[in-house]
Amino acid sequence: MDTRYEKVDGTSPQYRLALAVLGGLAVAGFACTWWVSQQGLWRTGMNLRVPWGLQIVMAIYYIGLSAGSLVISGLSGVFGRAEYKPFARIAVYAAMLLLVAALLSIAMDQGRIDRFFVQPFVHTNPLSLFSINPALYVSYILICMVYLWALLTERNRLVGGLAALALGWAIAVHSGTGAIFGFNARALYESPLLPASFVIAAIASGTALMIVLIVALFRLTRRRVDDDLVLGLGRILRVCLLAVFYLLVVDNAFRLYLVGEREAGLYYLFQGVHGAMFWGGLVLLACCLPLVLLFAPRTRRSVRWVVFASVLVICGILCERYVIVVPGLTRPADLFPGMQVIGMQSQEGIVGYSISFVEIVQALGVLSLIGFLFLLGLKALKLMPTEARIDLPLVSVALPEYASDGSARGQVDPARRASLPTGGFHGR
Amino acid sequence: MNRREFLKTTGGVVLLGGSCAYAVRLLTATTPVPPAAAPAGAATAPSSTRRWGMVIDLNRCRPDCTACLDACSRENNVVPVGDARWDVHWIRKVTVHDPSGRSRDKHVLLLCNQCDEPPCAQVCPVQATYKRDDGIVIVDPHRCIGCRYCMIACPYDARMFSFKESDAWPNKDLPRRSHGVAEACTFCAHRLDRSEKPACVEACERLNVGALMVGDLNDPDSNVSRAIADNSVKRLREDLGTEPKVWYVGL
Repeated sequence: MDTRYEKVDGTSPQYRLALAVLGGLAVAGFACTWWVSQQGLWRTGMNLRVPWGLQIVMAIYYIGLSAGSLVISGLSGVFGRAEYKPFARIAVYAAMLLLVAALLSIAMDQGRIDRFFVQPFVHTNPLSLFSINPALYVSYILICMVYLWALLTERNRLVGGLAALALGWAIAVHSGTGAIFGFNARALYESPLLPASFVIAAIASGTALMIVLIVALFRLTRRRVDDDLVLGLGRILRVCLLAVFYLLVVDNAFRLYLVGEREAGLYYLFQGVHGAMFWGGLVLLACCLPLVLLFAPRTRRSVRWVVFASVLVICGILCERYVIVVPGLTRPADLFPGMQVIGMQSQEGIVGYSISFVEIVQALGVLSLIGFLFLLGLKALKLMPTEARIDLPLVSVALPEYASDGSARGQVDPARRASLPTGGFHGR
Repeated sequence: MNRREFLKTTGGVVLLGGSCAYAVRLLTATTPVPPAAAPAGAATAPSSTRRWGMVIDLNRCRPDCTACLDACSRENNVVPVGDARWDVHWIRKVTVHDPSGRSRDKHVLLLCNQCDEPPCAQVCPVQATYKRDDGIVIVDPHRCIGCRYCMIACPYDARMFSFKESDAWPNKDLPRRSHGVAEACTFCAHRLDRSEKPACVEACERLNVGALMVGDLNDPDSNVSRAIADNSVKRLREDLGTEPKVWYVGL
C-alpha cells in the first residue's frame, strides 16, 4: 500500500477563523515584547533574585515537545516501525516549529533583544553552554528542514539517514539544554541527572502532543486513522512516563537522603507554588493519572482515554519545566549554611516569583505564531496522509480477526505485528 | 544548468561555507580579551603584576553604618529605583542570624568576590564578562545581551541586572547605566587604574572605621596580604573552587 499525502483544503470558515485568532494573538504577543524591551524587564514578574521566569520555562517546554515529536517521526526511519510512517511529516514539521518557538521565547526574554541575533554568533564562548546550545538549535532546525524536504520529495534512501541524524541531534540538543540547569552550583539545580531526565520527559511530552495532534487533525479533516496506531503511541508514552517517574524518585531521594541537601529537598517538595506544581502537576498529572489510564485494561484500549491521558501529560510536563527553573532561584544561594539571612534594603532569604499578565501574553504570542504557521503549513505542504492505517497483508492472513476491524482485542500485541515482514512500504 | 539546479548548488555552498566559517570561529575562539576602550578617566592600563583583593573586617564594621553603600551608589550611578525587587546593590549589607542562638547576629557586607575562576565569565555566551589581567571581573555593557545566565551561575548572588532604568545620574564622570544588561561591583576599577581607592574603602576610611581595605595580593607586604596573614580569615564558599578574592575577618 502506498500512503498518499494531500494538502488540507483550508477554505472552511473555521480554518480562517483559527488563522485570524492565532494571528491576532501573535501580534499582541510581539507588541507586548516591544513594550517590555522599551520599558525594561521589570515589567515582567521577574526580579533580581529570580532572573529567569515564564519565557525560559516555555522555551525548555517547547524544546522538549520538539524532541518528542522528532522521535515519533523517527519511529519508521530509525526503529523500523513502518506503520508510523504516515505521521512522520507532521511530526517533523511540528518539531521544527516548536524549536523556532523555543528560540523566539529565549529571544524575547533577553535584556537586549537587538544584540541577541548578532553577538552570540560574533563573540562565541566555547566554554558556555549558552554558546554551544544556540549552535545546536540552529543546526537542529536546519536538519529538520532537510529531513522534511526529503520526506516531502519521497527520497527514501535519504530519509533513514536523516532520521537517525535528527534523532541523535535531538538528544544532544536536549541534553545540552538540561545541562544549562543541571551544571550549576545551586542546591536545587546541581544534578548530573538533569540532562537525562530532561530528555526522557521531553520525549514523553512530545509523544503526548503527537497523540493529541494526530487525533485532532484526522478528526477535523475527516480522515481515517487506525485506533491501533494511536494506542501504540500510548504504549510508547507509558514507557517514557515510567522512566520519568523513576528519575524523579531518584533525584528527590538523593536530596532527602543527604543531610546537607535535605533542607533544600524539603523546600523543593513542600513549599510555595512550586510544591503544588510538583505534586499536582508533575506527580499527579504527568505521572500517576496517565500511567493508571495507560495501563488499566479498560482505558488503555480506548482512543478517547489515551488522548485524555496525553492531555494530562502535556499539562503536567509544563509544570515539570516550571519546577526545573523556578524553585532553584527563589531559594537563596547557600552563603551561610544553617543561618538566617535578613536584608536591609535587598531581597534576601526566600523570595517569590509570580507570573505577570505581560509574560502570559508574550508566551501566548509565541504559541499562537507557531500554531498559525502550522495551519499554513498544512495548507501549503503535503503533510497529512489521506488515511493512516495498519495495512499488512501477511499479518491479515495469519491473524484474520485483526484485518476486519481495527479495535484490538488484546490477544496479540500490535508491536509484534509490526515486527513481522511488511509489504513493500518500509521506511528504508 | 537550469534554475533549480543553480539554486540548489548555491544554497548548498552558502550553507556549507557558513557552517564551516562558524565552526572555525567556534573552535578558534580564545579566552576573553579586554576591549581596547578603557573606562572614562582611566590613566593607566590594568597591570598584570598586581592582583587586587579585599579584606573586610566585620569586627570594625558598624552595624548601622551605610557609608560604603552610599558612596558606591553615588560613585557608580547605582541609584535605587524604589523597589527591593529591582534595586541594584553592587555592595549590600545583610544580617546573618543564627536560629540556634549560639552566636551573635553578624552584619556582613556582600559584593562581587572577583573570583579567580569566575563562573559568570565561564557561562557568558558572548564573552561580555571577562577577567582583567589584574584579576578584576568586568562586564562590557556594550556587548552583554542580557541573558542573565551569569546571575544563575554566580554562587554568591552578587551578579545584578538593571531591570529598570533610573533617571538619577550623580557621577557625570561615568556613563549612566542603561537597562537590560548585567552588572556587578568592579572594585571601582576606574579608580584603581588612576591609583585611587575604591569609593567604599575611601568612605570607610574617612570615618576612621577602617573595616574595608583593598590592595595587591601579589605584594606580600601589602595591607591586604598582611591582614590575611595575621588574622583568622574566611572566604565565602571556598569549597566551590571559585577562588574568591574577598576575605572576611570575624565572620
